[in-house]
Amino acid sequence: MQAPEAFMKLTVKLFGGIKSTKDFPKNEEGDLIVELPSEISVAELIDELSLNKKPFIVVLNGVILHDLAIKLKDGDKLSFFPPIAGGLLN
Amino acid sequence: MKILRINMSGNPTAKFEELGEYEGLGGRALTSAVISKEVDPLCHPLSADNKLVIAPGLLGGTAAAMSGRVSVGCKSPLTGGIKEANAGGQAGQVLGRLGIAAIVLEGKPEGNDTYKVYINKDEVRIEKDNSIKMLPNYDLIDRMKKEYGEKIACVSIGPAGEMKLSGASVAITDMELRPTRHAGRGGVGAVMGSKGVKVIVLDDTGTTPRQPKDAEAFKDANKRFVAGLQKHPVTGQGLPAYGTNVLTNIINEVGAYPTYNFKEGRFQGARKISGEVEAELEKQRGGNPTHGCHRGCVIRCSGIYHDKDGHYLTKQPEYETVWALGGNCGIDDIDKIAMMDFLCDNYGLDTIEMGATIAVAMEAGILKWGDADGAINLLHEVGKGTPLGRIIGNGAAFTGRAFAVERVPVVKGQALPAYDPRAVQGIGVTYATSPMGADHTAGYSIALNVLKTGGFVDPLKPEGQVDLSRNLQIATAFIDSTGMCLFIAFALLDQPETNQALLDMLNAFYGWNMTDKDVVEYGKKVLKFERDFNTRAGFTKQHDRLPRFFYKEPIPPHNVVFQVKDEELDQLFNW
Ligand code: SF4
Repeated sequence: MQAPEAFMKLTVKLFGGIKSTKDFPKNEEGDLIVELPSEISVAELIDELSLNKKPFIVVLNGVILHDLAIKLKDGDKLSFFPPIAGGLLN
Repeated sequence: MKILRINMSGNPTAKFEELGEYEGLGGRALTSAVISKEVDPLCHPLSADNKLVIAPGLLGGTAAAMSGRVSVGCKSPLTGGIKEANAGGQAGQVLGRLGIAAIVLEGKPEGNDTYKVYINKDEVRIEKDNSIKMLPNYDLIDRMKKEYGEKIACVSIGPAGEMKLSGASVAITDMELRPTRHAGRGGVGAVMGSKGVKVIVLDDTGTTPRQPKDAEAFKDANKRFVAGLQKHPVTGQGLPAYGTNVLTNIINEVGAYPTYNFKEGRFQGARKISGEVEAELEKQRGGNPTHGCHRGCVIRCSGIYHDKDGHYLTKQPEYETVWALGGNCGIDDIDKIAMMDFLCDNYGLDTIEMGATIAVAMEAGILKWGDADGAINLLHEVGKGTPLGRIIGNGAAFTGRAFAVERVPVVKGQALPAYDPRAVQGIGVTYATSPMGADHTAGYSIALNVLKTGGFVDPLKPEGQVDLSRNLQIATAFIDSTGMCLFIAFALLDQPETNQALLDMLNAFYGWNMTDKDVVEYGKKVLKFERDFNTRAGFTKQHDRLPRFFYKEPIPPHNVVFQVKDEELDQLFNW
């Protein structure tokens, strides 16, 4: 029997008109609950989310990200802000 | 351009004067120079020896986009130090077109009479009018419209200013002739009240924009400047769409949204009072989420907020207002917050100081956290001048003392605005060291610490914050002197060509050869006037500190304290 593949569950909040063009389940607050194989990076998650706008600022667990190559782990909370917030991560 | 001196002692008089030694100064540079040179730093702020200076910027009254800010300066009754508070609205442009570089209100009437001042291109009339005594700002402006017509701009105070409360603002009318733009901070309204002047009515009928030395170069630079603002994501998209309150969600997400009188860095109800929600309501109710506060603004971060029945209630409440009267008090009802914004404008009060004060009152147990109706009532008490209202109207420090509250978030007596200094350490440096007292606009580190405009300095660490704040404080002192809205800084920081366009515009207008180096020198000169005044008023380096609880109480979710060392803060003005 094969070991079950490791999954992680992320909460993704989208602000200021950013939307995912894919269908994800949502929690009561309207945030996306995204379940994915582990070892995925923020950059890969952005591809996975297939957002309608390119995000400029990504906040991971309350900390502004400078490096999109960072790997995510189970339970992480991410927020995406559009160009309204300016920035370098475009 | 001339200085108009209005002396309110004895029989009030008005006289025009050449700029003389103040040549080349505008806006904040001019108000701070006059206060520093002419006001006894030890005087009582409400005495005849204090002065109230109202100055458009260097480009006020010209065709330059964004150039309508007006600076109001005095010795502050709130901080006891020098103060410059600036506002949008129409007065800056109108003063410029009237050829007035500054109105200086001096002296003090002996009796209890109330005066109005009318200025047009031909005359200055100072008239006694006790029938306008204690009118709230909106009623006052209605009266002025009836008397002087609709082609005016007004600078006025509400009952709070007349009662000389330290939280009183000076109101400036917007394009719709509503008293919605306020030089809010530091109790400047109380100083206007102490001069007996209720309203200054400005009428620029028959005037033309001020003309540049080199018209072609000026026009070209202005064009490049506007294009730069329009292309930048913050000034071209974010601010026009959602206004400044777009910050609520991001500041909350990064854990820097002070809640319950600076106890927590996140507010459960933040989304309900965010700019996105505000803009949506404004659209639904027939208001307007994209609006300029003065002619010539191309960013248009302002808006018009209607109530549930679709009637005008107030201008779109700003991020700091929504925080102060909302999240900081545990209030998450945007309509109630908008009502409080209206009340503050009407009574003539600083929304930041009032919100911080109400939170201190909540901490004292006078109201329950989240009690929006109780907070509205408190503001009415201020407007009526009841004993409790007068305590609240004098600000957070005063209220904290009155009710023996230990945790009072003020620097130099002025309440901290909407960014926690532990979660954004750069803004903590600005709060601590600005000659103005705690002031986010004096060196807006949020731009780099959070919004990643013009670079990035980690907000949770002390490293690099003093240099960041220093550079921003210098640049801001310059921008505040040009009459430009500070929001141009987003585009200036990221786009060197837009920065150059601003310099080209100034140079074409005045025939100067200003470079970036001169900008730095100009900003330093302004800060030097201000620091000198404060030193002579008795301020020492111990006044350049945050309240100690910011060094001791870690703030969730990051559980950080303010870590910039005192010795480092003392390096800020070492240039
Ligand atoms: S950007 Fe906003 S604050 Fe600045 S001038 Fe325009 S409307 Fe007024």
